Amino acid sequence: MMDTKQFLVAGVVVALLIGVTAVFFAAGDPDGLESTALVVQGVKDLTGPTPEDADPEAVGQDVGFEYEAPMPDYTMGEDAGKMGEVVAVVAGTLLALLLVLGVGKAVTASKH
Amino acid sequence: MVTMHIPDIFIPLWQSAIYWVIALIFIALALRWARNELDDEKVPLIAVLAAGIFAIQAFNLPVGMGTTGHLVGGALAAILLGSPYAAVFILTLVLLVQAIVFGDGGITTMGANIINMGVIGGFVGFYTYKGLMGVIGNVYLSAGIAAWFACLIPALCASVEMFLAGTFPLVEGMIAMGAYHAAIGIIEAVITAGAIYLIAAARPDMMKTVEGVAA
Repeated sequence: MMDTKQFLVAGVVVALLIGVTAVFFAAGDPDGLESTALVVQGVKDLTGPTPEDADPEAVGQDVGFEYEAPMPDYTMGEDAGKMGEVVAVVAGTLLALLLVLGVGKAVTASKH
Repeated sequence: MVTMHIPDIFIPLWQSAIYWVIALIFIALALRWARNELDDEKVPLIAVLAAGIFAIQAFNLPVGMGTTGHLVGGALAAILLGSPYAAVFILTLVLLVQAIVFGDGGITTMGANIINMGVIGGFVGFYTYKGLMGVIGNVYLSAGIAAWFACLIPALCASVEMFLAGTFPLVEGMIAMGAYHAAIGIIEAVITAGAIYLIAAARPDMMKTVEGVAA
């Protein structure tokens, strides 16, 4: 059995490797929700290919609020390219780690 | 990298508010679960699991039909940690990072995303797993089938939410969401079973409900 420290290091390394690999090898087609948004717009057949310029968010509505994220779509802007995406996914992976660590510690500390 | 949870513009604010209220109830229950079940030893382990789930959600794989999908991880978290609230706890925090930093999923619609992937995914995954273990008794087969349902059922719920929001028509939306997530669910099934195998080999003590795993 791995001790906790080994497991943590191995786990974080595996997570980062998955994230960085995703930047270069993840498939570019839209996901299930986006594809459905294209099907209901009539720009994509259920089992057909996805048109280049298709915009899943075109079925959206003006709800009076739309949040602008600092690193939209896991990028740091067009100019930063793939390296920007690597930075984004690494930052996100570490943020998820630290956030759960922080909230977990706060919650467990509150019972003492 | 293109992935999308429900964005702000897909649900009117008043409906989003209702989903947030329901989500907050489950978040409170998930915090109570964390308080009772987590200790200094387990917190780092679930943090690593959250990091892994975040990273693998970025990895879209082709499923045919011009569509891709990725692991969500609700079934995995719930089965590994022995509670659907583990899925709510982990997915809520992962979705928070995704929405606030990367704009993947809206802020107003985060409640709906938490309900779908954390609550429904976690409960469907956990109880399907428990039920199947009683019938077929094989950890990996039970976890895989549970993960498939934990992908499909939240997607169908999302299509109903999209119908209520006036964003998707009901039948066409359900057929497309169902077809795509039935395919994406195969990814969820294989990765969930594989991850349970690897984690069981490395840390058998982490597996609360996963009994009978050779480790």
